[in-house]
Amino acid sequence: MTDMKKKKLDSATVISIVIVLALYVAVFIAEQFIPATSMLFTVIKKGATYALVAVSMNLLNGFTGIFSLGQAGFMLIGAYVYGIFTIPVVSRMDVYQYYNGGLVQFTLPVFVAMLLSGLAAAFLALLIGLPVLRLKSDYLAIATLGFAEIIRALFQWDKLGPITNGSNMLRLFPNFNDFNIRNANGDVVVYLSTLVPLLIAGVCIFVIILLINSTYGRALRSIKDDEIAAEAMGIRLASHKRLAFCISSFFAGVGGAMLAMYQTTVQAKSFTTAMTYEILLIVVIGGIGSVTGSCLSSFLFVACSEWWLRFLDQKQVIGDFEVPLLRNGFRLVVFSIIIMIVVLFFRQGIMGRKELPDLIRQLQGKKVGGGASK
Amino acid sequence: MSENVLHIDHLTMRFGGVVAVNDLSMDINRGEIVALIGPNGAGKTTAFNMVTGVYTPTSGKITLMGQDITGRRPDEITKLGIARTFQNIRLFSSMTVFENVLTARHLRRTSNFLSATFRLNAAEEKRMRQETEALLKEVGLFELRDEMATSLPYGKQRLLEIARALSTQPKVLLLDEPAAGMNPQETEELGAFIKLIKDKFDLTVFLIEHHMNLVMDISDRIYVIDFGKQIAQGTPSEVQNDPAVIAAYLGVDEEEEVSPA
Repeated sequence: MTDMKKKKLDSATVISIVIVLALYVAVFIAEQFIPATSMLFTVIKKGATYALVAVSMNLLNGFTGIFSLGQAGFMLIGAYVYGIFTIPVVSRMDVYQYYNGGLVQFTLPVFVAMLLSGLAAAFLALLIGLPVLRLKSDYLAIATLGFAEIIRALFQWDKLGPITNGSNMLRLFPNFNDFNIRNANGDVVVYLSTLVPLLIAGVCIFVIILLINSTYGRALRSIKDDEIAAEAMGIRLASHKRLAFCISSFFAGVGGAMLAMYQTTVQAKSFTTAMTYEILLIVVIGGIGSVTGSCLSSFLFVACSEWWLRFLDQKQVIGDFEVPLLRNGFRLVVFSIIIMIVVLFFRQGIMGRKELPDLIRQLQGKKVGGGASK
Repeated sequence: MSENVLHIDHLTMRFGGVVAVNDLSMDINRGEIVALIGPNGAGKTTAFNMVTGVYTPTSGKITLMGQDITGRRPDEITKLGIARTFQNIRLFSSMTVFENVLTARHLRRTSNFLSATFRLNAAEEKRMRQETEALLKEVGLFELRDEMATSLPYGKQRLLEIARALSTQPKVLLLDEPAAGMNPQETEELGAFIKLIKDKFDLTVFLIEHHMNLVMDISDRIYVIDFGKQIAQGTPSEVQNDPAVIAAYLGVDEEEEVSPA
């Protein structure tokens, strides 16, 4: 992570970079030795995806002060664009079985398709941003929420079937497992299926951090702090809000493509409002205005919901004693209680507005300027 | 007479049935300090808001150095060279002193969001930072540069607002009650400061103020309005002795009502 405050990187920033790189190395090593079916990797893959989308949402809600709830809609666009353009031509007849193999009869490389996912989402954001960004706060939230619902319905429309496969799912496109390097026999030589998604999310989040710490990032933050003052300082509100909206949607689109790879299938009906709320929850728990917070909380969130609390859904017997209450669905009860506790006792989220380098500076005993800049 | 910078021509602003500013005309020349005074609710801030583009006047025309700026967006007007401060301080609360001033440099950028994100504008960014440091030194806030803006004492916050406005490189500086809430000592320092920056940055200053000592001390000319209408104008001493002004400020007995000038 860069520090633009001083010209040279200070020690806290260097330590942060080292920590992040060490995590990557650790994941790489773990992946080679721990069986690929371990829940750990599932959590990291989904966590990386959610972290990217959460940071992109934070860019809007936390840094620009635009309360948008359209994230699931933009993820849907990203997931579909990725799916549509990466299904191998030979498999299209299977996937588009009701639509004669569909309209698209070519395949793009994975990373080109991911880029296209982002661009498609950003372009749509540009269009709907024109009317929607004139609204403020809760009205804007409702409008973007409505947009996401319309997108979801539209992609299931039968007339669009040759492209979107209607309400049937897209499948057989390259997923995370295809990043593993295999030998001629098809045996995996180097496992990369967890590292690559983590890298993609990392690069995207790094770009967002660069943006936040640039002159445009300052302009966006000034809009959040005080629109009237920002405008009086010569910052054109409409264009800057549109910029933030498009960039956020771009990364939500890329996140959608990652989610498609994680799930190995795409179906419009799974991109519900609940998905946006999950992301929003991650942003709030992590701290509105903290990239580190969003990343941390998305991994914690995914780990809790997918892994650590799973045992609550099953009957547990300790000795002769059968633990009461544990049955299917109880996990969600505990999960909700944990979230309520976090929200009640950490009003600012786990990180507040602080970032990783700020924490290290704190440990070093230096004064932190409110964590406003990184 | 010297070069005319800001020309306000028969400006009127109506909010429904209320006429907040009624047929106001003003001329502000280069290098002058001009004050707009009047009792509470006289329409001073409304006049400011029209000049800075917050309101579009119902009728009338505003010209900045020969260019018609009536009804332009606030950010456009700032870019053209009018910067302002606010009556109720509006600093960027999540930012440090340094960042507040630096952010106001954004409008003079040549980078776009891509070149800024990928640090292709490093030279420009560096220059912006150096200019900001220099400006902070000039106004005496350099020592406080890493403090959060909102943690400063009140007087310093006012100063920071002026510094932030200066950072947009204005030709005309609009100060909306810069001395509000200041004690006599601070007010006196502010007066000296306004004169100082006017000369240093080659500014024209247009201010609204209630502290009469400050107004009389630093203004070259004063316009007085009441109920949205101009009732007097002239040098401080002329205005001070104008019966209409005294009437507006102190009130008069009904028998000896003074007709507005």
